[in-house]
Parts: sequence; C-alpha cells; structure tokens
Amino acid sequence: MTTPPASASEPPLLEVRDLRVHFPITRGAVVRRTVGQVHAVDDLSLKLGTAETVGLVGESGSGKTTLGRAIVGLIPPTSGAILFRGRPLGAKGAAADRTERSQLQMVFQDPTASLDPKWRVGASIAEPLRVNHVGTMAERRQRVRDLLEVVGLSPGHAQRYPHELSGGQRQRVGLARALALNPAVIVADEAVSALDVSIRAQVINLLQRLQNELNLSYLFIAHDLAVVRHLSDRVAVMYLGQIVEQAAAADLYSDPRHPYTVSLLSAVPVPDPTVEARRQRIVLSGDPPNPASPPTGCRFHTRCWLRKQLGNPEQCAAEEPKHQQISAGHTAACHYAHEVPGNVKLSTVGPTAEPAS
Amino acid sequence: MLRVRDLSVRFDSGRNVVVHAVNGVSFDLEAGGALGLVGESGSGKSVTSLAILRLLPPATARIATGEVWLADRDLIQLSDREMRRLRGKEISLVPQDPMSGLNPVLTIGEQVAETIRAHEDMRWREARNRAAELLGTVGIPRPHDQLKRYPHQFSGGMRQRVLIAIALALRPTLLIADEPTTALDVTVQAQVLELLHELTVERGTAILLISHDLGIMARMTQRIMVMYAGHIVEAAPTPEIFARPGHPYTVGLLRSIPRVAGVGRPLTPIAGSPPVPDQVPRGCPFAPRCAWALDVCWQEMPPLAPADGISFSGGPRSGGHLLACHNPVAADEVEGGRPLQPGFRAAPPPEEGLVARETT
Repeated sequence: MTTPPASASEPPLLEVRDLRVHFPITRGAVVRRTVGQVHAVDDLSLKLGTAETVGLVGESGSGKTTLGRAIVGLIPPTSGAILFRGRPLGAKGAAADRTERSQLQMVFQDPTASLDPKWRVGASIAEPLRVNHVGTMAERRQRVRDLLEVVGLSPGHAQRYPHELSGGQRQRVGLARALALNPAVIVADEAVSALDVSIRAQVINLLQRLQNELNLSYLFIAHDLAVVRHLSDRVAVMYLGQIVEQAAAADLYSDPRHPYTVSLLSAVPVPDPTVEARRQRIVLSGDPPNPASPPTGCRFHTRCWLRKQLGNPEQCAAEEPKHQQISAGHTAACHYAHEVPGNVKLSTVGPTAEPAS
Repeated sequence: MLRVRDLSVRFDSGRNVVVHAVNGVSFDLEAGGALGLVGESGSGKSVTSLAILRLLPPATARIATGEVWLADRDLIQLSDREMRRLRGKEISLVPQDPMSGLNPVLTIGEQVAETIRAHEDMRWREARNRAAELLGTVGIPRPHDQLKRYPHQFSGGMRQRVLIAIALALRPTLLIADEPTTALDVTVQAQVLELLHELTVERGTAILLISHDLGIMARMTQRIMVMYAGHIVEAAPTPEIFARPGHPYTVGLLRSIPRVAGVGRPLTPIAGSPPVPDQVPRGCPFAPRCAWALDVCWQEMPPLAPADGISFSGGPRSGGHLLACHNPVAADEVEGGRPLQPGFRAAPPPEEGLVARETT
C-alpha cells in the first residue's frame, strides 16, 4: 500500500498522457452525420505506480468509467497515449499487444451482468486462459481451483452457476477472472458499490489482501468517498472529463483546494450524528452540465460557490485553469486554488479529517 | 401519530414455501418526527413500508398479523377505497427509482396535477397552477415551462424532485421515503436530502426514511431502527445507536463502513452472508453470523425489549433503547467488534441443524 519512490530513470507502471476520448453524436438513419462530440475524457493525464492504489472519484457522467475502459482497451482513445512500463499500448488486437493488455484487467460493477448466466463459474474464470492459450486443460482447471481459493471461495464453486451465488460471491468470481492472467493493474469500476454493507467490507478487505500478496496496482473508480479514502494512496477528482484535483489521499481529504472537491466532500453524509450536527454543507446548485458542450473557461464555473464568493471573476469563464502545484504531489486546476477559505474547509470537511479516535 | 403493532408479512412463493418477510414489527412515529429504518437488501425494510401503505402485491403477499394505526384508524382494516383516499393525502411515498415512479408517456404537469385532482375538486387549469407552484417549491427552475415536458427530459435529480413534489402535493402528515437518493450522485443527493429535511420540518411532516446508508441516517433522523431478516433487532435515538450500539449486527454494520475519519482502521466485516429468506433458523436469524451467539440464540428469538443497563434516560416509552438480543455487546467490546470475555466462543449450531421455523 505504500507508494514506491518514483525514480527518474524508471517510468511509472502505467501512465495516461493527454488522453482524449470523444464520442460522436450522430443524426439521421440513412445518411449519418456527426452533429457534435461528447467530450467524455479530455486532455487527461494520470500515473499509477507499482502496488499503488489510485482512487478516481466524480459524479456520473464525469468520465470515470470511460477512462477506465480506455485504459484496459475496451474503448479506443481519440488521441493521447496509454503507456505501460513506459511503452505505448498499440492498436487493439495486435498479437504482441495482447500479452501486454493481459496485464491490465477490469472488474465491473454489476457481477450479475458481467458473468454469463449459462456458464459455470469455472468456465468464466478459465475463459481468459483459454483465449490466450495458457496451459493445458488440466493446468487451467487447477488454476481455476487456485484462483477460487485466492478470492476466498472453495474449489467446489467452479461447478456452480452465477445465479446460485450471492452478490458478494459473484463479485469474488469477477475478481478471480480478472486475476487469471496475473495482471499488474486492475481497474475496479464501482466494484463494491452494488454490495450490501457487510459484504462490501469483506470484498474491500479481500482487495487489500490481494494487493499485498500479489503486488497489484488498482485504479479504483467509485463514487463513495469514504471507501476511496480507505483504499487509496492517491486520489484524483474528475469533473466533466478532466481531473480537477489530484493528491495523496490524506492531503486531498484534509486540505482540498478545488472548490468542486470541497463541495463533494461536504456533500458526503458522515455516519456520525455528532459530526453531522456540527457540519455545514456546501450544496451545489443544479446538475452537472452537458459534456457535449462543456462550459467555457473553467468547466466548473457555472456551479462554483467560490467564484460567487469572490464576486464572479471573469477569468473563470474565459480561461481554462492549469493545474497548480499546491504541495508535493498535490495539484488543483483552479485559478483561485489558494483562496479556498480555511474556515470553509474546517466547517465542511474539517471534522472528517480528524484522526481516528 | 403512526403506531405499528406486531406487523407480520408473509409471501407465498409457490411450492408451499412461505417467506417470512416481516416478523412482528412494532414502532411509533410521532408527528413531525424523523424515523430511520436501516437494513441490508432482503431485510424487509421496503416490505414494511409497502405494508403500511397497503401496496403489497395482493396475489403473493399477505399481512398475517398486525395493526397500523394512523391517528385513530387502523389502516389494515380500511377498505381499498378508503385506503385510496388516504394515500397521497395523509401518507405518501417517495420511491427509490425516479424513473419507474413516473409515467413516461404523461407530462410532468399532468402527473402532478392528476394527484391533486384525485383528491381535491379542482379545475385542470387551477391544478396546473398549483403543480407549477409545487415544482417551484422543490427547486425546479422555471416551473411553468417544465409542466409540458416529459420525465425523460429531466435528469435523475430533477425527477426525484418531481416525485417529492407529488408526494408533498397534498401536505400529508406522513411521508415514507424508500431509499430516496440511492440512484443519485452525491452532490445531487445532498440537494435532495436538504430539500426533504426543509420541507418536512417546515410543514411538520413526519418522515419514515428507509436506507442502507448510515451516513444519511445520521444526518436525517432522530431515531433509528435496525432490521435484520424481517425483525427489528435494535431501535434507539440516533446518537445512541452510533455511540452505544448493543446488537452484534448493529455493531457489525458500524464496523463494516469505512470512515473518512478513521483512516487505516481495518474494517471488520460480518462473517457469512444474509440468510436466505425461506431458510431462517428457529432462533435468532443472526445467530449463524454472530460472534456473541449463545446456545439459547439458536433456539429462541429474543423479544425487542428495553436494553438493560444501557437504557436511555427519560423520554417516552417509544423513545428508549430497545434491543432484541440474548447476549448484547458490552460497551468496551464495540470498538474491537468482538467479544472480550476470556475464553468465550460463539455457540455452534445445534446438532439437529438449522431447523426452519414452521410455516404458518
């Protein structure tokens, strides 16, 4: 769980560089023409180290899932590069690319939808091995048994069908399948969100154990900020296709600098009535804007409370903010990142940043 | 104001299997109060709320026992017609899924006005004006322009606001909100919770809030009931539940949630999985997962009674700390989430195995 020191000579395990994923909006049934672009991911850069967990948070439509899917190669990027161990991942389907891609695996939100209901669990777990021609049939069968044990199921579960398992067990199967090819990186897209509280804790603990045992790196996509804090070394906050703030988890939660991060943190209900009674909340007005036509300048300026407090400076609507360095490893894309008032942070986020009792 | 007594709901799921969805649930909700019902999926939370509203599917579900008193009427005894007149006007529901709660082929204006007109003698135009006013109250911008739009033209948060507008249209005295924000983003969730809070406080509407999210409960409620396998296993004022939980399941829930404050503190999940509804053991349904289980737990379901030693001082009978447990968690065991008595081991299941409760 500790971040290895990034030496200058060694490239990060995974690097996303200026990635853009745009989806065309088309009209017309016979003659299709493109009438616009949804900017799902726009000029996004991100690094992930060995055995590191980076949490990715943001509202629905912010592009979290698109980014995750682009990284594992399920969606072709419009431009930009995804580098694995310093080498760019090439076109989808190329044979040499396939071994490299197998190092990047994904766990999905809904384990019911991501497992074939007509296949036995063992067949689902063995599928990536079969597709990549790994081992003989007997070896694959043994591997499935081992994998089931690794994720805390019994080898007997290989013979079951998905509907015979509980939600937590199905998510364990999804994990076993993702682990089949010994990946280095797992993109977990809301992997624990659909689970009940008591089961979710089991799967969270399992993710941590697997990371320690197998040296895995996680890109952990979730909307639950407390779960993200619990699992992540670093956290990136996305808004309308861009990362607006990025920092070590402890820094981000105790000293948020982007007004959007502050309002996100203040919106999360804290399971402690004494804290809830003391806390003030910054309630954002309105819904996130349409990603097909993002606002000019800073994309957040239409909902920004800080801009209002500062008397609506023109700069926010006119100029796109660059990432400003706050401290080592902590950047925020806001013109006024240094102006987030300390008392606002304290009254909204403050109590949540207290050390554990 | 709302008094539920010994409410039990059974589902006939064919082949002589009877599911005990809700078992002997009793509680009070004062006028203007905010009561939370917490539990995991399948615990019977939603079934309880549907039973109160008498909206259970008639073909498979039946209310086996119980009384539901709203002011001076037992809702269980009312005719369908009387119940229809009461729903919306005195009790209303904010459902979980804002998409299925609205009719996709009717405009928003029609749906809000329809609710008003079903109960009050009013012309369409007048009802539409009232509808626009209501949409304004729930924070929908330019309400008059929105009346002609359809649900799919609204975002999830906006749809949920429309449903709140419909639920509050006739100023009911009781609002049941079943996971009202589960489908929403956290920033939108904050808006909707704020709105629910303001409107209910302003109008003195009592609210029964159903959720699995303990954070929302901490923010919104005065009192919390914890439900497991159709039983209320613990009920107490909200601060009390968080500070001095007594039931091993409540402790397990609290130990299972990561907190932004307790960084690095490992989670202690509850072992095992929730019971399959048609195979509930004879005794306490939580016994198979419980680290505090005694032999008696496998045989006998303890009644929900005032918690000894940790009872909340003062308050009315309904305001105390109630617990259904043979071996409650001691105050010093809460933090560690396991029994501290030296040499204590949870009682194993009885030799005759898990005997399913006789179906009635």
